[in-house]
Amino acid sequence: MSSGEAPSAAMLTVFSERRSDLLITTREMRAEGVITLTLADPAGAQLPAWTPGAHIDLLLDDTVRQYSLCGTPGDQHSWRIAVLLDPDGRGGSRRVHETLQAGDQVAVRGPRNHFPLHSVPRYIFLAGGIGITPILPMVAAATEAGADWKLWYGGRSQASMAFRDELERYGDQVTMWPQDTKGLLPLEQILQHPADGTLVYCCGPEGLLTAAEQRCAAWPPGSLHLERFAAKPQPEPGAGEAAEAPFEVVCQRSGLTITVPPGQSIIDALDENGVSVLSSCLEGVCGTCETRVLEGIPEHRDSLLSEEEREANEYMMICVGRSKSDRLVLDL
Amino acid sequence: MTDTAGPPNYPLNCWYVIATSDEVGRSLLARQALGRRLLLFRTADGQATVLDDRCPHRAAPLSMGTLDGDRVVCAYHGFTYASDGRCVGVPSQRHVPYGAQVRSYPVVERPPFVWVWPGHPARSRGTEPPDLPPLRESGWTVLGSAREMAVNYLLLHDNALDRTHFPYVHPHRIHRGYVEDPPPLRIEVSETTVSYSRTFTPAPLIGWQHDATGLSADTEYVQRETGTFVSPALHVDEMDIIGPGQRVYRGVFIRAFTPVDSGRTLIIWRGARNYAHHDESVTARLREVYEGTMTEDQPLLEAIQATTGGAVGYQVSAAADAAAIRAYQIVEAMLADERGWAHPRRRD
Repeated sequence: MSSGEAPSAAMLTVFSERRSDLLITTREMRAEGVITLTLADPAGAQLPAWTPGAHIDLLLDDTVRQYSLCGTPGDQHSWRIAVLLDPDGRGGSRRVHETLQAGDQVAVRGPRNHFPLHSVPRYIFLAGGIGITPILPMVAAATEAGADWKLWYGGRSQASMAFRDELERYGDQVTMWPQDTKGLLPLEQILQHPADGTLVYCCGPEGLLTAAEQRCAAWPPGSLHLERFAAKPQPEPGAGEAAEAPFEVVCQRSGLTITVPPGQSIIDALDENGVSVLSSCLEGVCGTCETRVLEGIPEHRDSLLSEEEREANEYMMICVGRSKSDRLVLDL
Repeated sequence: MTDTAGPPNYPLNCWYVIATSDEVGRSLLARQALGRRLLLFRTADGQATVLDDRCPHRAAPLSMGTLDGDRVVCAYHGFTYASDGRCVGVPSQRHVPYGAQVRSYPVVERPPFVWVWPGHPARSRGTEPPDLPPLRESGWTVLGSAREMAVNYLLLHDNALDRTHFPYVHPHRIHRGYVEDPPPLRIEVSETTVSYSRTFTPAPLIGWQHDATGLSADTEYVQRETGTFVSPALHVDEMDIIGPGQRVYRGVFIRAFTPVDSGRTLIIWRGARNYAHHDESVTARLREVYEGTMTEDQPLLEAIQATTGGAVGYQVSAAADAAAIRAYQIVEAMLADERGWAHPRRRD
């Protein structure tokens, strides 16, 4: 190099999420159908820090499932997740319940956070069933920060609602709302009065999320923050796949232009052309592939962006999203 | 240079290395860091203590005063403060004025580092500074020092996460794997960390590696390197040479970046190795490598700082900058969180 010659060989950069093999240190039954797993580094090494609302991927042979971290964020030596057995689900929770035991090792990716808790003076937390998991560290953090908060926690029945014991210390800040005796969460009453400086955090089944979205329509924009465990039902695209049109994607930073044909995702089309983008769920749920839109109108099909964010056309999830315009310029 | 250009770009809800254990003793130490003047001392029972270095009465630096037992006595009027910052005596009157209190900071000492939390004290509860096994486990020989650079701390993270400047800035310190057919740089991210790693095809050791490890200069060895942005306060590099019998010769370069203000950073660094213990000549050789590498970076980084004013407003980034860009995003999320309701984050 002393001759001033430039190095000739190009270096490839491969981007991925942190992956680790963790040891299951404890497995506990926490409610009907709900177990918690505590995970730690097998050698006792410190784990990366996370903030309330973060989740990890559990890599189970051929399937990947996302679980919110529901332990103490400051604890960098163990992580805790809670898994609800869903007999009608895609099999991930059954696999966890039937095969994972204390002493086993499990591959984990992350953590990442697409449901972060913002510092505000007041919160309303709404949890439905296993949706309590990201809310649990949130109420702890809100308490530490001295915020004023209330949690409404609904579930099928008292016995199915995990972490009742851990929530006891918050007294009447927590309202337990088992469906079999009380019915659905009374959102009409809870969200009746829009309030400035108050954020609503909601996690649970689709019915609860949709109802919260409707109720919060009258609130200041950006008041409602929610996390879906499964993809939001999308409107039927007319006559199915045939209705999808090809469009052009320009990768501004890499200077590449590709055509995305009907039936193929942007992320797959990019991958075929040598542009690899971080991705995880491929269903528009996890937010890993979030990409900045520089030009064009995306057709959002994800379950993350709020109505305002969709209309802003600033970001999109390219694992499911397509384009309304003929051309989409992305910050890639 | 002081903080004049808007709010600082370093998060306050984070543990920073404010001093080394040997610097903090039974006398008053003044340290300018994290945009403020701090006072450091150790109580009689050995607890490292950090207070604001300013008497709330007439703003005299408390570091000009004296330590009386565990109490700090101001040099100007004798106002006296307990180690938690509470005013416990005003010589000219019987009563202590209401609100006479020096700010005290959460401190965690993990020798050789003393960590301080400059942000909201409640947010530090239950958290811990990053764990650095080579500095607490046996089997490591450690050297280190400190220096200040007229550079914003983010520029130092950018530099630490970047391997592509080595052939230009440190050409005589790298083996041929850096230049000839460099292996893919694997970047791994989590919510709060980003790291790179790569494993080189076998290459001959260069001078300092051969001198330090005592390994043959004629043999080709596999080498690998990892660098991690652990937090805004810390970058850790690991450099391994796989010797005969798969023996790993590991060097760990730990750099604590503590912003003094927006334009200056205190670098408190340690180099740990798991070989050549008790060999002073190896220690001296490695010290030259660590110091020399930083000395080679310094004029460039200070010139960049002078050009940009420390703002991360680069016009172009290369693929190899992905790790640094991710670190900026992590920092930005922390800063957005601290700005709170007035500037909610774009989403969620």
